[in-house]
Amino acid sequence: MSTATTAPDRSPERPRATPSRRSRPRPDRPRSRASTSLTVAMGLMLAYTLVPLLWLLMSSTKNSQSLFDSFGLWFGHGFSFFHNVHEVLTYDNGIYVRWLGNTVLYAVVGAGGAAALAALGGYGLAKYEFRGKRAVFGAVIGAITVPATALAVPTYLLYSKIGIVNTPWAVIIPALASPFGLYLMRVYALEAVPDSLLEAARIDGASELRTFFTISLRLLAPGFVTVLLFTLVATWNNYFLPLIVLNNPKWFPLTVGLSQWNTQTTGPQTGATLDLYPMVITGSLLAIVPLVVAFLLLQRYWQSGLAAGSVKQ
Amino acid sequence: MLFVSPFLLAFAFAIAAPLAYAAYLSLFRQGLVGGNMFVGLDNYRRALSDTLLHAGLIRVALFLAVQVPIMLGLALLAALALDSGRLRWAALFRIGIFIPYAVPGVVAALMWGYLYGPRFGLVHQIGTHLGLPLPDLLSHSWMLASLGNITTWEYTGYNMLILYAALRSVPYELYEAAEVDGAGEIRKAVSLKIPALRQALLLCTIFSIIGSFQLFNEPNVIQALAPGVISTNYTPNMYAFNLAFNGQEFNYSAAIAVVLGGITAVVAYAVQLWTNRQERAL
Amino acid sequence: MDTSRRSLRPSTRTATRTVLALSAALTLSLTAACSSSSSGNGAANPAAAKSSAADALTTPTTLTFWTWVPSIQTTVDAFEKKYPNIKVNVVNAGQSAAEYTKLQTAIKAGSGAPDVAQIEYFALPQFALSKQVVDLTAYGAASLKSSYTPSAWNQVALQGGIYGYPQDTGPLTMFYRTDIFKSLGLTAPTTWDEFAADAAKIHAADPTHYITSIDPGDAGGVDSLIWQAGGKPYQTTGSTSVTVNLKDSGSAKFATLWTSLLSKKLVDPTPGWTTDWWKSMGSGKYAMWIAGAWAPGSLETTIAATKGKWAAAPVPQWTAGANASAENGGSSDAVVSTSTHKAAAAAFAAWLNSSTEGATSLNSIGLFPATTGLLDSSAFLDQTFPFFNGQKANQVFAASSKAVTAGWQYLPYQVYANSVFKDSVGQAITNGSDLSTALGSWQTAISQYGTQQGFTVANG
Repeated sequence: MSTATTAPDRSPERPRATPSRRSRPRPDRPRSRASTSLTVAMGLMLAYTLVPLLWLLMSSTKNSQSLFDSFGLWFGHGFSFFHNVHEVLTYDNGIYVRWLGNTVLYAVVGAGGAAALAALGGYGLAKYEFRGKRAVFGAVIGAITVPATALAVPTYLLYSKIGIVNTPWAVIIPALASPFGLYLMRVYALEAVPDSLLEAARIDGASELRTFFTISLRLLAPGFVTVLLFTLVATWNNYFLPLIVLNNPKWFPLTVGLSQWNTQTTGPQTGATLDLYPMVITGSLLAIVPLVVAFLLLQRYWQSGLAAGSVKQ
Repeated sequence: MLFVSPFLLAFAFAIAAPLAYAAYLSLFRQGLVGGNMFVGLDNYRRALSDTLLHAGLIRVALFLAVQVPIMLGLALLAALALDSGRLRWAALFRIGIFIPYAVPGVVAALMWGYLYGPRFGLVHQIGTHLGLPLPDLLSHSWMLASLGNITTWEYTGYNMLILYAALRSVPYELYEAAEVDGAGEIRKAVSLKIPALRQALLLCTIFSIIGSFQLFNEPNVIQALAPGVISTNYTPNMYAFNLAFNGQEFNYSAAIAVVLGGITAVVAYAVQLWTNRQERAL
Repeated sequence: MDTSRRSLRPSTRTATRTVLALSAALTLSLTAACSSSSSGNGAANPAAAKSSAADALTTPTTLTFWTWVPSIQTTVDAFEKKYPNIKVNVVNAGQSAAEYTKLQTAIKAGSGAPDVAQIEYFALPQFALSKQVVDLTAYGAASLKSSYTPSAWNQVALQGGIYGYPQDTGPLTMFYRTDIFKSLGLTAPTTWDEFAADAAKIHAADPTHYITSIDPGDAGGVDSLIWQAGGKPYQTTGSTSVTVNLKDSGSAKFATLWTSLLSKKLVDPTPGWTTDWWKSMGSGKYAMWIAGAWAPGSLETTIAATKGKWAAAPVPQWTAGANASAENGGSSDAVVSTSTHKAAAAAFAAWLNSSTEGATSLNSIGLFPATTGLLDSSAFLDQTFPFFNGQKANQVFAASSKAVTAGWQYLPYQVYANSVFKDSVGQAITNGSDLSTALGSWQTAISQYGTQQGFTVANG
């Protein structure tokens, strides 16, 4: 439903055929005089987003005692960052590293697979006619509105019947379907892959699959990276489904593991040698880093991919 | 079709089959005593008259009505500022404001929970330093605002980027024409940019509506800090969760899920319809 | 979602304390227990049960054990060393309600459930009713009855069967700050009247200080206070009829006292176990904590700086000179119905909780014992606690264990009942409104749910 029902070519201004290839329309640098008041206002907003993260960073350098009695936005007594990191990485035979590995596995296979399937599917929907196309697209988009929380139990019961509960598949398979990714790729493919190019390839006798891999895929790259990053975030941050479908901590992703550590701080079993508060905090910090790095490194791609997906409906 | 089928296969396994199964489950009732029986639409009738469910729905509707405009307003202002070309260090702001999106919802809620602590949390520490008597952010009257703040923090940057990306693809020539006419940045923003953002704003609004109706992680984490404020039916999703997992009422919970999905779809569709009508009226 | 989150999570205590001395004491008492019970009133043939257990323990088997006790691997290692044919995988599948969710879903799905699971006493009737855990009578459990305290045994002997072995208990105890009481010229309260008077004095001396806190999310804590006041709000008759009466005399005593304290702001309605709460505990903002005998480990590790300032004492009484106590939390280990190695699982659970080595080892990692052998041994009773300034605190705990009021029962759907506690009683605690009314609303919610689930529910 929703956005899908707006026909793609109703968009009033369509500036270009291949959004990704064009150089940036306007320079990033201030053209005219920079406005100080604007910069200050944005600075306040930046402070709002970064202060909690600064707190997280500062807190990761503290031990429990210091966490309780020092000011949140500055260092406490002593510098326990490396100690905390060491604790996080080695506690319970290095279970955190295992969780990190699981998360990477789910992210690479789940998010990578989701982006690939969405690219294929979006391309197919954009460039080919087949019976029931509108129905397929409508159903897929409508599915976005169903609360994931509510699907968890039926998913669990179904998956246990086919025997994949408590295995990585129970996390990966649900991650493979990204309706939003499909939507974005369809919009992107409409824009980025000119029909004339496909025609030319067909005349040359290339098979559809070959055309896709040799010509279209390259054109779709920025859109693909955008979808990849969003599915990456979705898988990396996935909490609820893995919580339900996994029983064995050996298969937990970071979110579920960290939250289990956290519940242990809220019960009396915080053991003598464990200092779980700093571990939850430092573990959270470490869990964020890979995603931030991925976003920074792939900036150039996803920004242009996003541009196409957001305007053209 | 060849290209679409792998996606459809995944879709069938991941979403369609569980959804169909949920719909199927919602037609039964299984008590701790008495076994499983077919009850038709009884669970839906129960949902219609369930005041606990209604209270949750009204709460998320209120949340939606206040939080979404604030968040999208902030995102829009930030996107316009980034696009105005009159901002120093634009790249820094763009990434900095976006970063919270990369923080898992559970972690974000945990972190804000620490910050909100009424006696020793950071907000309280700062309030004491400045000599300001700050309210208890975890109290009944402030809770919805505190939760709204968490989601605003998480998603403003994300929405800002979508809007900013849309702005960047508005043809440059349009601006040049406006500049020749002597239009200032603010006028350009109001008369040119915001109309051009209509579709992107619609997309953001619809995703925010879906997100609001599904509100779960944030109140669920904060509940441990304020059990007397966040009830088990605080949001419809929490209600369904508690029924299913603490109450073993999988069937009624499945019915609530279906109802919730339906309501979300209707509201999202209504917003789109309304926007299209506005567009036609222009 | 996890109202019961603090019902009883034992804590890891630092040292292995007096393991050796205890082992010696236990060997004697357990041998005695076993030989006395072999005269046999068990439902199954004890000899046959014993031999099947022996068989099961010599057949190579891998068991899965769900528990959230942090250092229990030590005890399990000892078991594996003794019975090398049995391999036990210890899995922390979450604690309390989180674990029950998984357990129930896994049993319903028919795969993924463990062989043995830790289940708190309040949740056990629900699993027993739906036969999701096994009646251990067939595995000779009845012969172990005399090894356990009556209050622990009564919580696993349900619905005509025995559905688990008691792993630990939490006899209610008053932990108080001697320095605070001393500085105000007070002695530890022995009755609730004195408690109320002290509450006023402590708050008057410093308006940021309170005698204690009460947790708006902890149904188990309120249940314990009602239990100690002689209330029996939940009763099960037969398998499908329950009575819910949160207006009985015990509940009323609780409601009147705490409504008055809360409305005068003499106790602090703050959720427990949060950073804020621990800071308050550590800074002397609270003068006491009423909790199960599992509490010392938590105190020692989380607020180590207050070492020597605390003492343990019996809970205040409703009648001067009386001696009534209650349980707060505690867990059993049950054999799950989907297990394919039930005999080995039952033998493992029996060894873990009632054998000399098992029980002693569990105590050394911080669990308060459920076995009479340990509770009566002089090595246990004479142990000194540096955190309590050298007090022999186990004597207080053991006395509380003996004084637990008999006849308490939980509902066969207590997990849900506890989860909605915060919606009515929790809100009243937070707002300082009438607890009797709130208990009434809770009762209504519990009764409605029970009826929906097919129970016959009576009130009062």
